Amino acid sequence: MLFKLAWRNIWRNSRRSIIVIGSVVVGVIALLLIDSLDNGFLNQMLFNQISSNVAHIQIHKKGFNNNKKLQSFVPGAEKVDETLANEAHVKHFSKRVIAFGLLSSASNSSGIYIYGVNPGKEKFVSYIHQFIVKGKYFTGGEREIVIGEKLARKLKVSLGDKVVALANTPSGSIGSEVFRVVGIFKTPNSEFDKIHIYIPIRTAQKMLDIGNNFHEYAIILDNYKNAKSVAADLKNKLDAGYEVFSYEDILPLLLLQLDLFKEMMFIINLIVGLALIFGIINAMLMSVFERIQEIGVLMSIGMKNIKIFLMIVFEAIILGVSGTILGIILGYALTQTLAVYGIDLSIFSDSLTSFGVGSIIYPILSLDNLIVTLFMIPFVSVIGAIYPAIKAIRLEPVNAIRYI
Amino acid sequence: MSLIKTENVDKIYQDNGVPVEALKNINLEISEGEYMVIAGPSGSGKTTLLNLLGALDKPSSGKIFFENSDYSKLRRKELSSFRLHNLGFIFQAYNLIPVLTALENIEFSMMLLGIPEKVRKERAMKLMAELEIDELANKRPNEMSGGQQQRVAVARAIVNNPRIVLADEPTANLDSTTAKRLLDLMLKMNEQKNITFIFSSHDDKVIERAKRLIILRDGQIQNDKTN
Ligand SMILES: Nc1ncnc2c1ncn2[C@@H]1O[C@H](COP(=O)(O)OP(=O)(O)OP(=O)(O)O)[C@@H](O)[C@H]1O
Ligand SMILES: [Mg+2]
Repeated sequence: MLFKLAWRNIWRNSRRSIIVIGSVVVGVIALLLIDSLDNGFLNQMLFNQISSNVAHIQIHKKGFNNNKKLQSFVPGAEKVDETLANEAHVKHFSKRVIAFGLLSSASNSSGIYIYGVNPGKEKFVSYIHQFIVKGKYFTGGEREIVIGEKLARKLKVSLGDKVVALANTPSGSIGSEVFRVVGIFKTPNSEFDKIHIYIPIRTAQKMLDIGNNFHEYAIILDNYKNAKSVAADLKNKLDAGYEVFSYEDILPLLLLQLDLFKEMMFIINLIVGLALIFGIINAMLMSVFERIQEIGVLMSIGMKNIKIFLMIVFEAIILGVSGTILGIILGYALTQTLAVYGIDLSIFSDSLTSFGVGSIIYPILSLDNLIVTLFMIPFVSVIGAIYPAIKAIRLEPVNAIRYI
Repeated sequence: MSLIKTENVDKIYQDNGVPVEALKNINLEISEGEYMVIAGPSGSGKTTLLNLLGALDKPSSGKIFFENSDYSKLRRKELSSFRLHNLGFIFQAYNLIPVLTALENIEFSMMLLGIPEKVRKERAMKLMAELEIDELANKRPNEMSGGQQQRVAVARAIVNNPRIVLADEPTANLDSTTAKRLLDLMLKMNEQKNITFIFSSHDDKVIERAKRLIILRDGQIQNDKTN
């Protein structure tokens, strides 16, 4: 009956109630959209980093990540191969030679990271081959090079053009090789494209005069979420001469950003929550003031304060919950649609690509946030109803009845 | 034994810091089953007295006993419970709950007492039939005339079988015929169910029917006459 009373009271001033519900709906949609956009943005950034280069886990000789010395070869490769073969979560891995060098064309030159890779294996570890915009991701030749579009533009080279790579060898002399551009890639991260070039691993080893040695294992797991535990496991199985890093160790800044965004989301939640609280306080106060005489009558006939209090709180909860449900339905539909089609932010595309995110953001709605919203808004409604409800029960029945 | 007894009751209002003595030294005994009207000119203190008797307000000094227990000093919560169990109210402006139907309005007081729904419905319907308002059961107050609303209000006031019903100017907003019908109805309830009625009014139709008439003037009892 109390609930029935509350429900009918809400529809007495349907316009006001609809406005309140509407503001809750807008608030909920905004929360879901902001969160899922952030989430999508960060995930894309993380995913791009992982799949362009970082992979889920990397293994090096100890110290390599801090100081990429050419001589820091991975020791005992057979042992590592075997360990990886026995690790159930490991799906693919690729060995990489990594050296800093210089790439020159007839018109210009640029500092670059030379990646010597086995194309057949690397395909399963990084997605450069999917981002080839011109030519092929290697065709089997020894002197083939795949470079980024931004670098190609800087060097003013195109498919089939010759470029020369230079790099120090461990003995201190300079290794050099002439390559023919067979593929040009363009990842969502333009900065990445400017400094990474790919050549066959054998050629790299020859040019650098390092025999069969290499610097890095890039490993892909069945699920990126296992990276931390598998890395710890591998670290256990390998000796202290190695360093085993999960992508979290390699991308600390990105993870910091993820945390930061979560905190920001908390603040946004707080702001939206506060705005809704004041909206509800305002609406419920108006509704209490309009009903002073009626509340006086309820008191006179013996309705207890607690019931009057609850009636007001129920009214606010009904407003909040119906707004939340409606908002979640609409917000869910919206984010799911956007998750399929993406939000085209090409106007900001330049800044986005230097962030390492494509110009189309695919929002990801997290269950966490959905649940937080689902519980936050009714809670907020109760908070917003407390003051008006206290106002209502502070009324003296005689004064309330007299009030016209 | 008297049902209600007041002892040297004073009520002083503060009107912007100026004390207004609305009731002076009221000593009154009311017995079970009375049909009593408090009359007097405007501002004489009728409503004030009714509010005190109805436990809606507290006296500035003096005591008010209900069956020998002083309820003028009770706390709000206890007063509320006292009203719920012993009193019924009828207001000048009917004051039904606008979002509830006639039936629900009558059920509402029973709900506050925790009476189960089935019993509530039965009892409300029976009473409505008795008061000849059963055809109004599913109407909301704004779909009823003033007289109809006030009959529903009477039903609401008596459905919990209160000891006393207090009615402040119950006929002020009604036309003469409607007012008479309503008053006869209440008289019938008084006689059939032995419910004590206390009215405040300066309406002749109310005063005519009074079994006991108290006339207030300037906050004092000027005349107390039983017919
Ligand atoms: N809340 C209040 N504050 C100050 N003065 C009040 C208050 N209520 C009543 N009074 C004063 O107390 C006196 C008695 O008022 P009361 O309402 O009891 O009279 P009444 O006999 O019911 O009058 P009416 O016939 O107009 O209803 C009046 O002088 C009135 O102005
Ligand atoms: Mg009055």
